[in-house]
Amino acid sequence: MIKNGVIKIKKIKKHLVVRIVTFVSLSVLAFSFLYPLFFMFINSFKTKTEYRKDAFALPESWNFDNYVYMLDQFELIRYFFNTIFIAFISIGVMMLLAVFASYAFARLPFKGRSLVYMLVIGTMFIPAQVTMIPMYQMFSRMHLVNTFTGVILCNIAGGLPGAVLLLTANFRGIPVELIEACKIDGAGYFKVIWNVIIPLGKSTIAINVILSFVSQCNDLFTPMILLQEMDKRTVMVALSSIMSKTSGDQAFQLTGLLLAVLPPLLLYICLQKYLVKGLTVGAIK
Amino acid sequence: MTGKSKYTKITARQGWLSVIPVLIMILLIRGYPLVVGLYESFTNWNGMSRNDFVGLANYISILKDPVFWDLLKNNIVFMLFIPIQLIAGIVVAVLFYEETAGWKFFRNVFYLPQIISSVVIGYLFSVFFSYRGPVNAILKMFGLSGKEWLGEKWSAIIIIILCLVWVNIGWQAMLGLGGMGAIPPSVFEAARMDGAGYWQRLFRITIPMLGRTIEYSCVMSVIWVLTGLFPFIFSMTKGGPGYDTTTIDYMIYLKSFGSSSEMGYACALSVILLVLVTVLTAIQMKLSDKANEWGD
Repeated sequence: MIKNGVIKIKKIKKHLVVRIVTFVSLSVLAFSFLYPLFFMFINSFKTKTEYRKDAFALPESWNFDNYVYMLDQFELIRYFFNTIFIAFISIGVMMLLAVFASYAFARLPFKGRSLVYMLVIGTMFIPAQVTMIPMYQMFSRMHLVNTFTGVILCNIAGGLPGAVLLLTANFRGIPVELIEACKIDGAGYFKVIWNVIIPLGKSTIAINVILSFVSQCNDLFTPMILLQEMDKRTVMVALSSIMSKTSGDQAFQLTGLLLAVLPPLLLYICLQKYLVKGLTVGAIK
Repeated sequence: MTGKSKYTKITARQGWLSVIPVLIMILLIRGYPLVVGLYESFTNWNGMSRNDFVGLANYISILKDPVFWDLLKNNIVFMLFIPIQLIAGIVVAVLFYEETAGWKFFRNVFYLPQIISSVVIGYLFSVFFSYRGPVNAILKMFGLSGKEWLGEKWSAIIIIILCLVWVNIGWQAMLGLGGMGAIPPSVFEAARMDGAGYWQRLFRITIPMLGRTIEYSCVMSVIWVLTGLFPFIFSMTKGGPGYDTTTIDYMIYLKSFGSSSEMGYACALSVILLVLVTVLTAIQMKLSDKANEWGD
């Protein structure tokens, strides 16, 4: 009896140790993800000399010079506007095209459908670098270099395969009876999409919009090549040039990094619950 | 009967009309440049007037150039992050699945680097590991001397690999969690009834049943190493010192929009990259099909 008790206590103790070790290691990992954000935050209020003296200390005073300079001198607001404008238009058009096409891929059979589907999805694996050079030449002949239109076209074509893949998989799950019933009630093509497809595919569409927004805000390669004019740049392009111009002042650089992180970060925090659920469910198709 | 076929016809027409805009976009923006790029890879195009057909000259000079093999070696060395990411990510996924204390918080935090731009992450690492940066400051506190981490070949490579693991643990964990959700809980119950311990459950049930997930993440990660490292390299080392951390995709940038404008050469390199991506993906899928057969 006593022996059994001792073993039990030992087991509980071992269990507890394992749990504590697990919790501590996960916490250390979590710290490594959160600390850089905090580090950027505290140092964004410091001067160059204060940063050099001690990068880990809290700032002596909360002075906003770095922010003012960043927004005023480097016109970061304009770059935010450019970025969001480009993302807004490209995602809007992309989702519109993707919804129609995915409805067809899922529910409107026609000859050669699977071939077209494979063609569209197949381009997902063509790296942007591979097509960029000829595309740049094509755009420069069409006077689309240094215009938002060029980047928007690129973003749409780049995002379409992924969107079509997810939406088609989702629309295939919509019962045919629902669509048929809607048609018997006299609904035409657009009405079916508006009344059945979009309401039932809502969450997949939303996840797709959010993820596309994050990835377009964060993209460097395409806008960097296509938008060389100063006032057309996106945040990431501007940031990379600010970073190379101000390499002596790391406190200032960290301010820029923090500002660039903010929009997607805020979006993530607001939509976290929703996003995480969608990611776990939709992670594998 | 005629009504039925008329209905099918209408459906087919609607189907075509729905996909045509997408098809045009894809063919124009992705397909056409791909074909042009393929053609230009056989020329000595410099982006301007010079554009003569030179046959396989670009390919031969790339394959003969030792630099290309260094780039390929760099790409392969960076792939070392994949096994680390897989093991760490799946261990974390298992912990999340068993709802360890605070798992929801950890899950949300671990996914953070996926939301933050790769460019910003690269710059953050370069600030942290710069000569006057926080890492060296901590080393100094312990009486160790700091160094220019990103200025030397091997320390730069190790830091880039560390960065890639750091970025992807959350992604892998989320993927693993999704895959484990598809395993029926009764399997675990049965194993536990039979007296299988934690490690046994992990190696005998979880990992084999995650076969598809692991396959998917391997394929995606390999493609990513070949095509997605541009922002990291650009913000951390600019490919240096020398070409020591330059990958193939970064070299395409250097040769076309970066330091020189040897467009024909860059196009040939792009074609080689595309072939590499396709071949490696195909091989992996074949291999994992075999592995899954054995698993069954």
